[in-house]
Amino acid sequence: MRSISLRQIVMPLVVLLCGALVLYPIGFLINESLNVGDPSVFPPEEYGFDNFTNLTDDYRALTNTLLVSCIATVLAVIFGFLQAWILTRTNIPGRRRLERLMELPYYMTPLIGALAWGVLLGPKTGLVNQLWRSTGAPGDLFNIYSAYGIAWVMALFEGTVAFVMISAAMKSMDPSLEESSRVLGAGKLRTALRITLPLVAPGVLSATIFVFAEMLGSFAAAFVLGIPGRFYVVTTVIWQATLSFPPDYGRAAAMGLSLFGVMLVTLTLARLVLRHGTYTTITGKAFRPREMDVGAMRWPLLAIAWGYIIVAVILPLGALMLTSFERFATVIIPQMQFTTANYTTALQMGSVGPAFVNSLILGISVSTIGVVVIGVLAWIIYRSRMPGSGVAEYVIMFPQAVPRLVFGLGLLWAWINLPIPIYGTLWLLALAYFTVFLPLGLRTIASVVLQVDPSLEECARVCGAKWVYQMRTVTMPLLRPGLVAAWLLIFIASVRELGVSIFLMGPNSKVIAPAIVNSWLSSSSELSAAMALIQTATVFIAVAILFSLARRVTGVTQ
Amino acid sequence: MNQARIEVTDLVVHYGDVTAVDGIGFDIAPGELVTLLGPSGCGKTTTLRAVAGLETPSGGSIRLNGDTVYSANQRRNVPAERRGVSMVFQSYAIWPHMTVFDNVAYGLRVRKLPQAEVRQNVQRVLGLVQMQDYADRPASKLSGGQQQRVAVARAIAFSPNVVLFDEPLSNLDAKLRAEMRVELRELQRRLDITSLYVTHDQEEALAISDRVIVMNGGRIEQIGTPEDIYNRPRSRFVADFVGSANLIEGKVRGPSGANGTLIFDAAGGVQLEVVALDAPRAGQGTVALRSSYIHLDRVPDSHNAVKGTIHRRMFHGDFIQYVVDWPAGQLIVRRPPTELYEEGSEVTVSFAPDHCVLL
Repeated sequence: MRSISLRQIVMPLVVLLCGALVLYPIGFLINESLNVGDPSVFPPEEYGFDNFTNLTDDYRALTNTLLVSCIATVLAVIFGFLQAWILTRTNIPGRRRLERLMELPYYMTPLIGALAWGVLLGPKTGLVNQLWRSTGAPGDLFNIYSAYGIAWVMALFEGTVAFVMISAAMKSMDPSLEESSRVLGAGKLRTALRITLPLVAPGVLSATIFVFAEMLGSFAAAFVLGIPGRFYVVTTVIWQATLSFPPDYGRAAAMGLSLFGVMLVTLTLARLVLRHGTYTTITGKAFRPREMDVGAMRWPLLAIAWGYIIVAVILPLGALMLTSFERFATVIIPQMQFTTANYTTALQMGSVGPAFVNSLILGISVSTIGVVVIGVLAWIIYRSRMPGSGVAEYVIMFPQAVPRLVFGLGLLWAWINLPIPIYGTLWLLALAYFTVFLPLGLRTIASVVLQVDPSLEECARVCGAKWVYQMRTVTMPLLRPGLVAAWLLIFIASVRELGVSIFLMGPNSKVIAPAIVNSWLSSSSELSAAMALIQTATVFIAVAILFSLARRVTGVTQ
Repeated sequence: MNQARIEVTDLVVHYGDVTAVDGIGFDIAPGELVTLLGPSGCGKTTTLRAVAGLETPSGGSIRLNGDTVYSANQRRNVPAERRGVSMVFQSYAIWPHMTVFDNVAYGLRVRKLPQAEVRQNVQRVLGLVQMQDYADRPASKLSGGQQQRVAVARAIAFSPNVVLFDEPLSNLDAKLRAEMRVELRELQRRLDITSLYVTHDQEEALAISDRVIVMNGGRIEQIGTPEDIYNRPRSRFVADFVGSANLIEGKVRGPSGANGTLIFDAAGGVQLEVVALDAPRAGQGTVALRSSYIHLDRVPDSHNAVKGTIHRRMFHGDFIQYVVDWPAGQLIVRRPPTELYEEGSEVTVSFAPDHCVLL
């Protein structure tokens, strides 16, 4: 019976530990939101609901948030839907390559997008506006420091998310459903309206709700582009409240919790729509959808598809690249002065160089430890039939619904108030990253766990293998593709993390994303561009190395 | 000589609120091959998995080789890896990240056998299933039939006394299935392995087994030799599920006097001589009659001869299936392909009283 008891110790321990990591900061958040006494005293001297009732004072931030999110959602869903339809259902040339390119915005992060569009369309100094003025026109062509600017940047980024969700719905639709409609005598248009659209609608709707919820909690674009123009949304108000003197933690917490509540409701809604509104589209089986011959229309459609990639990837990266090599950002050719000084500064500057190193250390260690722990966790939740594993899954997925910034706030109090001296060290950041990336890792590994036939493991046990031996020889090797993917995703997410880091980094534990933001707000756009490009390059190189490794690993076994 | 028995007593297995197995019991003698036969959802696979230790029952007991491996009363449940049984899975469960050799060697390596002995045993069992040339192949590069052979080799590699088969042939095409059936039976006899075999294919069950257990709705309908099950079904379900049978409704009138048969009144004024396996009950009853035991136009030597008309003829190759209209309704009749009748022709159907079994 000894073999069983090891398993019986490990399983509850892992679940309890991860559950505590998630719930502990949220508990603090709730506690602080009810604190109406002196905000710097803990535990609170007085409890009340004043922080929540006072939220109405911030109605401008609320309406701003709604305005930006609505515009951006509409744009993102239009981008995503068009792109998904063109790339999965038409016969335009080079679709495969375009589909690969659509992954790029994901690696770029909203922060890069915000910086790049700031460089492109910033008032007076923006590259496009410089061109506009050089023609003799007065004023600026566009001002990115506005609600529309923020919405534009968010829409370009979330358009990719919408694309992934909608094209998944389109791909998993059995083409015979449409074919039988055609065979029964319905024309192309009738088939599209009566068969295709109803089948894809739940996917589109759930993508819309999901993207909207993401935007409510998004921070980077509103921070980079909103602060200079004094345009505030809920997340930036929360940030502001913690910086004011005395810091208004109660207000920040109340606002964060309300945002969390709204996001939780919308995300639940998105999931419900997907579960109940879907007929055949989530069988998990991938079909090769029938391609429609669009004839001469394919050139305009090709232009649309490439247009999105140019606007979302090539133009921003190009602008950042140009700026990063210039002494002063300009597109007027006679005024250009090229230099590499920005890169040398970025790597040498007092706190920036170490920030890069810290981010890399965090990325590698968090993803490595995370993959092992989350791998065991995923097995426990989806395989072990341990009682309560459904609840465990729910708790572990929680950070997904909490805006990153709000979670950062909760983590800040949670760990400051613990007599373990990790505040201001990389340990705290590592712990925080691990906590907020639990859902990402769990989802990635779970998709592989669910694909592995349970009888492969049962067979090992019937052959006489104990739990640890079975996990080592059968389960973990079979999960390898999922573990590699999870490692990569957690690494990327760690290196570009902003919302949590901005609260938790200390003078001796700087990381790169907040350092870029600080540089943007306090010094030059040229330097920030160089830093952002180094960060992007780091992610790309890591992805490239890992992909080639993964190919070699899977190439041998399959 | 193999001495391993499987003894299952009052086994109950629940899945949540559903009772998958509802108090069943049976004994399997050393070296015997017993089949659990039934439609999907009848609890046969659940029973097998409970014996393997992959499902936790909620009542009853299971003894393997004299050792109690599960007992609800003693609160005893030996985990799968310590029961010493072996199993062939429906999906084969061949590990795709290992070679054929590594797959087969797994159970031997778990038991920490010396390298030379592992090699020798793997060679031996791969030889038994005619896969010795494939040892170094990656397991993911095998056809369905080859995977099946590797799965069998792996299951017998560590010389277990008890092997459980969970629908091992259901993923093969018909021809290969018939071949593997013969090979599996050969192997089981030769190695003297006590076997519990699950299938939903009644033909396979009859062909391969020493005894068949017919299950339905979590309960046992009948246990018996294949001939027993086919010739003397005890219930409507068994008659219907195993083989092709006609079920004739009617009324038992009483003994006929001659050699212990009964007089049975079917619809349309048809009077039949039938046999009863248990003490006959008077009143309404059902008689099961195998469609292969019905003759067409044979000289009516004695009992149970009735006039009818060929309604429909279907040529199956190995046999011809007729639908015959007779006064009591319709009869399904199977005859050799040499006995050809046109649709619409008049025939006399006849059958021995021994083949009319009162249920």
